[in-house]
Amino acid sequence: MATSVPQAPPAAAAGSSKFPAWATLGAIFGVVGALSIWTWGPIGVSGTYPRFIGAILRRVTPGYAFANPYLEKMGSLIKPETFLVIGLLIGGFLAAKLAGDKAQAEEYIHPGETSKSKRYRDAFLGGLLIVFGARMAGGCTSGHIISGITQLSISGMIFAAGVFATGIITAKLMHKGAK
Amino acid sequence: MTPLILSLLAGVAMGALIQRVRASSPAMIAANLRLENLSIIKFMATTIAVGAMLAYLLAAFIGPEAMHFDIKPTYVVGVLIGGLIFGVGFGLGGYCPGTCVVGAGEGRKDALWAILGGVVGALIFTLVFSSVIAPINKLMDYGKVTLDQVLHLPAVGVAIGLGAIVLGIVYMLPTDVKKRS
Repeated sequence: MATSVPQAPPAAAAGSSKFPAWATLGAIFGVVGALSIWTWGPIGVSGTYPRFIGAILRRVTPGYAFANPYLEKMGSLIKPETFLVIGLLIGGFLAAKLAGDKAQAEEYIHPGETSKSKRYRDAFLGGLLIVFGARMAGGCTSGHIISGITQLSISGMIFAAGVFATGIITAKLMHKGAK
Repeated sequence: MTPLILSLLAGVAMGALIQRVRASSPAMIAANLRLENLSIIKFMATTIAVGAMLAYLLAAFIGPEAMHFDIKPTYVVGVLIGGLIFGVGFGLGGYCPGTCVVGAGEGRKDALWAILGGVVGALIFTLVFSSVIAPINKLMDYGKVTLDQVLHLPAVGVAIGLGAIVLGIVYMLPTDVKKRS
């Protein structure tokens, strides 16, 4: 089926009326975050991307890799954060399987995404910008916004303000622009 | 070894929670950023409020040195520019660095493109770090600053106060904005 119209925004995950899904799941996530800070450290994802680049470059071009101050600073892949990312993959797989959810291979999220290739282009460029921006700031949604503000960090609050400022503008412009 | 197992378990829980609340759906993220549906924003705010209150209550009981707090430095210019760049990518693709991994786990093909984009973004960042990024990130660097230090108040009090305010706002806001208006 050729879907050229963006799908209607999905309904929020339900839950009961007294405890909607976002409240229950958010509270559980808060407990997981606090227990992580207690037992090993704050959750964070985006640092794994450059550590992965480092692991490759140390094999392909060790001279460059060992002289690069950023890769040296980020260190090896054998870190809790790497295992957290592996866990995300497993958790997403298991939750979808156990709930019988069949995710769409691609969701069209802006009117301009009129084909698979245009959707993949937006996902690719979006992925590039989020990781570049997160590495510049020193963390992403999990490290800066969730773990950062959980720890009352001012940097997490500044990052969140930046993210939602351009995030809201971009999503609204992409929605209007192609109509 | 134990931290690696605990972080793996935290990742499985986090991945399942993100999948269940539909934060791994880029259409859901776009709807939240267009402020049409606030369920993911309210999910994140609830996480932060509960996490902050619990983490600082724990710290008050067992001592902050027994916790693994790790505050990221506040280099204002780099953090803000990074956030602004991140927001454009977030609005464009509908994924963040963690949710695309969750999405890949549940079989989304566009999530694989987002991960590939992230790997390329990390490579470009690594290449330009010394020449472009490091000088910018030296500007207005205040080091590790937290809200309780700025307010000169006890951390546990600030965490509980902030958590209560955030929860209050979150419960007053509608989830499905269009239905209400």
